[in-house]
Amino acid sequence: MSVIELQDVSKLYGFGDAANVALDEVSLSIEQGEFVAVMGPSGSGKSTLMNIIGLLDRPSHGSYNLNGRKVARLRPNQAAKYRRDTIGFIFQSFNLLPRLMALENVALPLAYKGVGLTRRTRLASDMLARVGLQHREYYYPWQLSGGQRQCVAIARALVNDPALIIADEPTGNLDSAGSRLVMELLSELHKSGHTILFVTHNPELTRYASRVVYMHDGTIIHDEKTKIGEVAQAVRRAMYNVSRTTVEDDLAGVSALMNAVPSHDNASTALASKPRKKTSKRRGKK
Amino acid sequence: MRSLTRGNVKTAIASVRSAKWRSLLTMMGIIIGIVSVVTVVSIGEGVKRQVVSQMNHLGKDLITVRPGQLVNRDEKGTITGVNLFSGYTTTGALSDKDVSSIQKTKGVKLAVPLSIVTGGIDVDGKTYNNASIIGTTPQLPEALKQKIAYGDFFNDSDENQNGAIIGKSVATGIFDDDIPLGRSFEFHGEEFIVRGVFEPFKNATLSLDTDFNNAIFIPYPVAQELTENKAAIYEVLAQPNDPDQANTVAAAIKDNVKSNHGNQEDFTVLKQGESLSVTSNILNLLTRLIGGIAAISLLVGGIGIMNVMLVSVTERMHEIGIRKAIGATSRQIRNQFLIEATVLSVAGGVIGVIISLVINVMLRIFTDIEPVISWQVVALAAGVSLVVGIIFGTAPALKAARKDPIEALRHE
Repeated sequence: MSVIELQDVSKLYGFGDAANVALDEVSLSIEQGEFVAVMGPSGSGKSTLMNIIGLLDRPSHGSYNLNGRKVARLRPNQAAKYRRDTIGFIFQSFNLLPRLMALENVALPLAYKGVGLTRRTRLASDMLARVGLQHREYYYPWQLSGGQRQCVAIARALVNDPALIIADEPTGNLDSAGSRLVMELLSELHKSGHTILFVTHNPELTRYASRVVYMHDGTIIHDEKTKIGEVAQAVRRAMYNVSRTTVEDDLAGVSALMNAVPSHDNASTALASKPRKKTSKRRGKK
Repeated sequence: MRSLTRGNVKTAIASVRSAKWRSLLTMMGIIIGIVSVVTVVSIGEGVKRQVVSQMNHLGKDLITVRPGQLVNRDEKGTITGVNLFSGYTTTGALSDKDVSSIQKTKGVKLAVPLSIVTGGIDVDGKTYNNASIIGTTPQLPEALKQKIAYGDFFNDSDENQNGAIIGKSVATGIFDDDIPLGRSFEFHGEEFIVRGVFEPFKNATLSLDTDFNNAIFIPYPVAQELTENKAAIYEVLAQPNDPDQANTVAAAIKDNVKSNHGNQEDFTVLKQGESLSVTSNILNLLTRLIGGIAAISLLVGGIGIMNVMLVSVTERMHEIGIRKAIGATSRQIRNQFLIEATVLSVAGGVIGVIISLVINVMLRIFTDIEPVISWQVVALAAGVSLVVGIIFGTAPALKAARKDPIEALRHE
């Protein structure tokens, strides 16, 4: 059964001549248990897509079925309840509440659901144990390392047993050890049957994914299923073909990877003309 | 839902404590308002109790006649208003003739004039101006139901001698002696001997009556002699034979004195109960006046809270974004900020009540006023600060609740 079913979803900002198309008739369907990596340069519409899928935003046009229910036209309060019960968010900057302990942070979605204090403390505690932080329950976020903070955030995302987990560059603010910790954890969740959608600029991380989606200028330009443990085809091609981004590209926020995206003729010719160099360490800038 | 509220209260207290100075300054308006309301009301309450206990002591049947028209009455004789200022300036005086007609009124057991003699007294070469010198007749202790602690009062036979009976404060204040019997002082060039000391009067502070503890009583004829009959009678006390007939007797006194004054009512006949109502009328007026000022202070305090909460909402926009993203509804966000504003103002109210208690103790130690803080006043203070918090917390809370989650998340 499809968890997510997007049909011709568009998002426009502004009016008339100044209108800005952030998403251009995107159709996407994600099945139960998929682990999807979304890639694309800044401004390609990834965040807008995540916001719409995460019910933080409403599409201008098109239909969106989440778990078989039409959710494209929800009112803000209904959307809040859907977010609470069916979606878990993981952010690049963790977004834990600094004045609450790890345990309280994890228990917060349950509090908004109206679960009693004793029960939600127990559930939150179980969830922290599941992400390997049972000894850090009474730590405040500033007392934890980056990787641990992200694990707390993952526990928070999981605590309501959501149908879908959305992670927006979950490793963007982490060092390699932290990234590894977080990605292994997400991978485990995937194995236990969770549906996960994550945005990344790091092509290495597509090894964990079962499907990779590329976006450019508000549309999905490439969508491929990959074997777990392997870098996606398109990405691999990019990794071995692309030289490096110029300073101008970096300043413009365009990563080398995105120049390498296939099926755009100018992109592929650009790739061919440049000397080979590994870019695996390079991460896209926002 | 209740557990969420508890969490909100905890968050609110943490956020209030994390910015101690700002919170304290924010609460200042509420604190000042609550302190003034509680203190004023408790002083009023304390004075009222003193008046009541004085009235119980004197008995409800005591009738006082004073010059000037102090009160307005309707046809039934109920007091409708008090002439705070004109009452004392309206000309009209009581004379010896009035005293004797009051005495002769049917049903009057005794009538005692009280006249003020101006001037200071000399004791051992020093002059004191702070005691009131009152000329009166031997029946005064009976009319006031007041005992003499030491010595005795003058009687009909020695009414023309220069003897004086003093109040407690005069004994300790001027003579520096608990029992200054036999001591002498000079007044208007004549020497007076202290022959008695009253037991302390239960006087009500702020009431209309002269403080008898700070008075020196000399015989009425002597007072008239000293001033060549110019000492003004400021009050005549009358006691009816039958306490139940007090109303009838008061009416008869009024008619008699009125006929002496050419049918003009430039004097006031008050029963003891009415005397109380005059006092409480004045107190109520004062309480309302200061209450109004306090209300303005509460308003200003509320606006302060609103201002700080608006700043707080902007500062914590990112937090609002996180909370909304993980599933908080607008209503839950609104409640969180509403509770925070309420915690701020109720904390101000609690601090205000504590300061009022301290002021209360101070007043009892350093003044004669005995303020009474009743639980009603404390409940009022708590209620008012709660309401102020809710009213002035609503706008910021709605601002927070209506924020778009994406925009709020982008806010750092």
